Amino acid sequence: MNTIALQINRRAVEASAEPRTSLADFVRDRLDLTGTHLGCEHGVCGACTVLLDGVPARSCITYAAACQGADVTTIEGLDDDEVTTELRAAFTREHALQCGYCTPGMLVSARDLVLRLPDADEQRIRVGLSGNLCRCTGYVGIVRAVQSVIEARRARNIAPLADGGRTILGPAGSGRAAPGGSEPRPARTVSAPAPDSVARGIIPDFTPATVLDQSFTLAHPLAKVFAMFDDIAGVASCLPGVSLTGIPSSERVEGEFRVRLGPISAAFQGAARVERDPATLSGRILGIGTDQRSHSATQGEIRYRLLPLEGGAATVVELSIGYTLTGLLAQVGRPGLVRDLAKRLVAEFAANLDRHMSGASSGRAAPAELSFRSVASDVLRARLARMFSRVTGKSGAE
Amino acid sequence: MKPAPFAYERPRDLDAALSLLAASRGSTKIIAGGQSLGPMLNLRLVQPELIVDISGLAELKLAQVSGNELVLGALVTHADIEDGRTADVTRGAMRNVAANIAYRAVRNRGTIGGSLSHADPAADWVSALAALGARVKLRTLAGARTLAVEAFVVGALEPALHVGEIVEAIHVPTRTASSHWGYAKSCRKTGEFARAIGAVLVDPADASARVVIGAIDTAPIVVTDARELFGGQIAADYKQRFDVRVADALLAKAGIDDAAQRHIHVSVLKRAVLEAAA
Repeated sequence: MNTIALQINRRAVEASAEPRTSLADFVRDRLDLTGTHLGCEHGVCGACTVLLDGVPARSCITYAAACQGADVTTIEGLDDDEVTTELRAAFTREHALQCGYCTPGMLVSARDLVLRLPDADEQRIRVGLSGNLCRCTGYVGIVRAVQSVIEARRARNIAPLADGGRTILGPAGSGRAAPGGSEPRPARTVSAPAPDSVARGIIPDFTPATVLDQSFTLAHPLAKVFAMFDDIAGVASCLPGVSLTGIPSSERVEGEFRVRLGPISAAFQGAARVERDPATLSGRILGIGTDQRSHSATQGEIRYRLLPLEGGAATVVELSIGYTLTGLLAQVGRPGLVRDLAKRLVAEFAANLDRHMSGASSGRAAPAELSFRSVASDVLRARLARMFSRVTGKSGAE
Repeated sequence: MKPAPFAYERPRDLDAALSLLAASRGSTKIIAGGQSLGPMLNLRLVQPELIVDISGLAELKLAQVSGNELVLGALVTHADIEDGRTADVTRGAMRNVAANIAYRAVRNRGTIGGSLSHADPAADWVSALAALGARVKLRTLAGARTLAVEAFVVGALEPALHVGEIVEAIHVPTRTASSHWGYAKSCRKTGEFARAIGAVLVDPADASARVVIGAIDTAPIVVTDARELFGGQIAADYKQRFDVRVADALLAKAGIDDAAQRHIHVSVLKRAVLEAAA
């Protein structure tokens, strides 16, 4: 816990909070200023908007500890504010609220627009309010209310203040804190029990949410390539981020799959089962794993089919890699970034297979090359197999 | 939607921040305005053991014209640029980009250095600064180095930062009087992450052009010599010469398999070209 001293609604306040406590939780839970509402808690909905050093800021993604010494104004502190008083009357008149949940943040943002916009241009007001979501009104009344206040003030010759009155550089609310910090936390130890189904030895079938297809040619005869796919440890060594634990059997392997996308990282632990059909020269590796830290789970499968080329001297490998991600890591709305990571991992897997077949060490490409891929150092250390698909799924998003 | 617990340090100066970074075992994150990291912390996508808050460091809040370029400290916010609290050597280009980043409440805390460090392909500065030919100054305890923005962003969320290194400043070259600037983006909702970004800096006077196709799922496509996109030469009629097929081919080469996606990117780039020529 840190002691945080700051000014809230023109009153000096001191209270303790954890470093992870948001400014919104700080004013609501420590100071009972519950007019600040929390909606999305990741900076999208705008319900938590407050004034920080006089300008709007998201209190849900601003940590209280970062506001040491700052000047915070919540909706409660705007009771006597001239602009907000005019806005409240206009909101009432124009029926600019229904349930009222968005209203505190809406008023803070509206006040900022009234101060800054030169005139009551509807488009600019709508764009200016686009960071505050209202699910009741359809915005028509809100926009009208803001327009009417701007018109009235400009008619009274009150000039706009394009910069909102801010004169210094840097993040609003920063700059007045003395150096300091929290007590170091003991390192977290994460126990990672295997998921129930894995513990029971069950690896269920599933329908992948995302499937990536890739085919490539190996300059090796069909039989040799098919035999290689039966070498679980060998295949695993080609999978970026995968390491095996224990001794793989021909039907079942256990291990870990590590993946990283920027600052997001996860280590999925689980198991995979292996199927193959010599008649069709095809097979499937099907896996399941969980990342304890993020409470996320993934399922994945690698399907392969081999086709002869050049009279059997070379082999076309058709890979179809599918995965599904659930839990925390799945909730981020940036599937494109995950797909891109998956694509790169698949490409790397293919390149590694080729190298492996050619008798090169199963090591990865040169570190220099890897360093500009998202896979980086975890991958370098990694070896064995496991669900490739889980690899792809893990990166989460945004 | 609360972050996992973390320890928190507010260093007294840049060297102290760098020392903390250097001493960490890797599970340390720098936070400036927190407008990208905050959501990821709250969603527990990122669970660092230590957060080093640099938002108070005065030495990163400088903005000054030095020779032929503007040097912006990493902590300069989008709103600082939008409002003109910093000098502008880009003849309004950066102010317009800044004014359309996310929402005002985000721009009041979000920083240019933080946005670049986060290296989200859909972020505006990643594309706009690459088109403007800006460079990033990076610092460790051992010293400093400078990279072109297009070399700094190496993949989605993947900056070229070494362990213990942070973005100190952004160097923006003065835009020539004869150059034309165009910037366009497509967002499903105002202020949301862009699904396509086009940025062009064309100078018909010296027959040069830089073109960026951004907000793809990886680092943006940066064409520093964009003659090919304009039929082999840059002249006053570059608007008419803009070749959508070359743009489409660039996107296909970058791995954008979906023709509809390529169409969106090409259309947005074309909008940027038209804006530059307007």
